[in-house]
Amino acid sequence: MMRAVRIGPVCAPLRPRPLAASLGLSLCLAALGLAALAWGGYPLSAGETWQAATGRGDAVAAMIVLEHRLPRILTAIGAGAALGLAGAMVQTMLRNPLAAPDIIGFVAGANAGALLAALTTGGMIVGGALAGGALTACAVVALAWRGGLDAHRLILVGVGANLTLGATADLLLSFADERTAADMARWLTGTLHARSPEDAALAWAGLALLSPAALWLGFPLGRMALSDDLAAGLGLRLARLRLAVAALAVALVALAVSVAGPLPFVAFVSGPIARRLTRCAGPALAAAALTGATVTLGADLAARMVPTFRLPAGVFAAMAGAPVLVWLLWIEARRRRL
Amino acid sequence: MSQRSMNRLRAEEISVGYPGRTVLDAMSLDIPDGKVTAIVGPNACGKSTLLRALARLIPTQGGRVLLDGRPIEKQRSRQVARRLAILPQSPAAPEGLTVLDLVRRGRTPHQSVLRQWSRADAEAVERALSLAGLEGLSSRMLDTLSGGQRQRAWIAMALAQDPELLLLDEPTTYLDLPRQIELLALIRQLNRDAGLTVAMVLHDVNLAARFADHIVALKDGKVRRQGPPAEVVTAETMQEVFSLPCTVIRDPVHGRPHVIPA
Repeated sequence: MMRAVRIGPVCAPLRPRPLAASLGLSLCLAALGLAALAWGGYPLSAGETWQAATGRGDAVAAMIVLEHRLPRILTAIGAGAALGLAGAMVQTMLRNPLAAPDIIGFVAGANAGALLAALTTGGMIVGGALAGGALTACAVVALAWRGGLDAHRLILVGVGANLTLGATADLLLSFADERTAADMARWLTGTLHARSPEDAALAWAGLALLSPAALWLGFPLGRMALSDDLAAGLGLRLARLRLAVAALAVALVALAVSVAGPLPFVAFVSGPIARRLTRCAGPALAAAALTGATVTLGADLAARMVPTFRLPAGVFAAMAGAPVLVWLLWIEARRRRL
Repeated sequence: MSQRSMNRLRAEEISVGYPGRTVLDAMSLDIPDGKVTAIVGPNACGKSTLLRALARLIPTQGGRVLLDGRPIEKQRSRQVARRLAILPQSPAAPEGLTVLDLVRRGRTPHQSVLRQWSRADAEAVERALSLAGLEGLSSRMLDTLSGGQRQRAWIAMALAQDPELLLLDEPTTYLDLPRQIELLALIRQLNRDAGLTVAMVLHDVNLAARFADHIVALKDGKVRRQGPPAEVVTAETMQEVFSLPCTVIRDPVHGRPHVIPA
């Protein structure tokens, strides 16, 4: 009645629908990636792009493809996947789609931390983002704690933290000199403009480091989605697992913010979209990561298509994400859970 | 007392409470092996709290719960879950879960991240579905089932755990009378056929008298009476525990005590 796949010592049930969804998302992502490689202010044909990517084309095309477009695409995929993973994990743990890192202040906290680090030390962005995200997570949990953690109270406190930290970031900007402030302001919306190969390398190295932990936590997360009592009854150690999930989510968010700024709504929309695509009641982490990457790359491509303005990708992520937020709020309100 | 003569699940002088309120005060209780035990008592007497403490879902402030002679909180939670399953009151599931998805999750304590599925898992899930009479419904969405079917799906999930002890918190809540009888008959059959030790919180004393071998009557966080239905379900106990004036007769069909409120 259920087939299983076996790879070495690993044995997991084979579920055709999530597999098909992940495959479809991967194809979509690959197509967007190729389009983003060829399309731009210096348009290249498919053949020219291929030659440039394999190092056989002319020097200008090679430079544009390898040093500008490829890092940008890889950064978008890495940051998007990190946000998608973090979002799906926290939403599943708290059993509420509104409890996403970008709604409950984790992203804003990482951003404020990164900004503060950049303004005071001129670097240390990753460390600043990590510290900012972790401090925010601790503060939100502590403020929402009343002898236990209620998801709704956590969300309300988190939304408050989100707004406060957004204002803090604006305040920090006003201390910067004009040129830095202008640069930072664009970064604040979440941008992938002018990403360096180092950004791409950071995003992918971080993802490579953190995603095994995410896959590991996917198994208990599928059980934590039931209820606290049921999960504990099944033998899970909830306190320890919650701490691990929160720490990993903060690290993933800090990684994404460090390379792409606080892209809004990506963490929030990825989980629900992935769950609908996979028709899977679990966290659907792989599909959520792919969804996050696809949304981010799509938003960046859309931003690049607007001529002359150099719009940040975050604007388009917000345009896609805000209707989803309204839709989910409507569903929650209809179930009278809000 | 030797290990052998001791019941597998027992509470020794446990005190349990929430901030500012003591619910159970130094309570001792044995859940008799191989029997169906019903825990009854008025609202807020600590029935659910007792069940949750027995299943290590809430910590005890004093005393200890022993499973197989060892303190339950000192044992690995996964090892406990292989022997003891608990079904909380009106359990909730995320939307989009099928019966099969749910029952498969019952295998969690036998699985690991690396070994998420095995032949033993498949067999246990199949067995649980058939014991609960859900063979034809395994691909149905949980929220499309009737109340009785859904409750059996939850029981199937607990059975997939392959437990030797099953704790149920008001399993008949929200079910109509025929569904209540059907469910309790299923639980007793599991006890008789598979030797499962069952402890359940029940609201209805008459149903408890009809389906349980052992009844524990609680009031104000204390055990007032316990024993076979004929000894516990008496007019005096009903008056003492529920403050209910009543006549208790012998049910002419099953020979069990039956409460007729005055």
